[in-house]
Amino acid sequence: MRRFLPLLLLFVAALAVGGAAAQEPVAKVNVSTTRDPVDKSYRKMIQGMERFEREHAFAPQAPLRFQLLPRTPDVKMDGITLRVAGDTVSVPVPIGPGNSFILPRNEQALREDAAVLANRKTVSMTWRALIRTPGLPPDTRRLGDLRLECRVGTEAGLVSNNSQMFAWLSNALLSADHVCNSPEGNYLFFADRPLFGVRLRAGDRVEVLPFNMLYAGGDQTPEMLRFCDCQVLLDRTYYAPLWDKTWPDDTLVEFAYMTDAAPAAQAAP
Amino acid sequence: MKNTALLTSSLLAALLLAGCATNPATPGTQVAAERLAASIVPGRTTKAELLATFGKTKSVVFDSGYETWLYQSPAGGGRFAEFVVLIDPSGVVAKTRQRAPAAP
Repeated sequence: MRRFLPLLLLFVAALAVGGAAAQEPVAKVNVSTTRDPVDKSYRKMIQGMERFEREHAFAPQAPLRFQLLPRTPDVKMDGITLRVAGDTVSVPVPIGPGNSFILPRNEQALREDAAVLANRKTVSMTWRALIRTPGLPPDTRRLGDLRLECRVGTEAGLVSNNSQMFAWLSNALLSADHVCNSPEGNYLFFADRPLFGVRLRAGDRVEVLPFNMLYAGGDQTPEMLRFCDCQVLLDRTYYAPLWDKTWPDDTLVEFAYMTDAAPAAQAAP
Repeated sequence: MKNTALLTSSLLAALLLAGCATNPATPGTQVAAERLAASIVPGRTTKAELLATFGKTKSVVFDSGYETWLYQSPAGGGRFAEFVVLIDPSGVVAKTRQRAPAAP
């Protein structure tokens, strides 16, 4: 399914374009709404935060943040501003290190079905939950953190395609329970730098992830990449065996990068 | 619109079935592990030499100019070890790594 989904999206896009062209003109209906269909839903993101609270046991020491990442080659990731925007309410959201942020709770915004808006084109960035247990060794993540990131990110509707046209498909195939509990799940993670290898370590058990769990499966064509939010982060992309309960939540996911870190990056906290 | 939805559903179902029957992507050229380890030297072996010696294999090319190439080494019982090569933008092997075959 992982390999197949981009093809499916291409197919549906082609079908929808063809179908729209063939249809007779229909009566125009004006619908007043605050949110653009592809903007992030504040309600959905709050649902993701509620899931984090319910399933915090996956990562009991970790706080929840969200993170903005580049999706298209031309997007500038400096100076991003973010706000929760409803019909009458506008709440600024401070952006922290690495373009991460904490989403504030606001009842008025919930009632108004507000959107979470950045001062960038929505499709130019991808969004993720960011759940990191403090104090881990350098160049590692914790599997339980990733399990929770998947559940929160999927619940919050962060992984989306370019159009509402795909919403029904997302609902059918991309529920958190399907994506995060199945070997066929396709939740992509992004390392901090380009990856050469990923290894799992739990006590004495050590395994290297197979090649097809890196680089979004390793078989993305340029046409498929347009529909993947790994478009410009392909070399940082990996899947983790979230579904495999033989790996405990405390499993360390260790990264080997393509190149050594620059001295400045090594000195960064 | 109903017809379009029906058509979409039918074609989607057909595509799903077709997808299930599709063979996986080429997993990589098969080469004995000893031969790979003896032939590929990081910092020296070039992409052209890899091509001439082992032929084309599964690879991923990145916007940065780096490439990763995957070879498979038969390990008995239908299992394979992986041998992955990182090629830098100048066309020289930068790193290699191996993955043991999955447990039987």
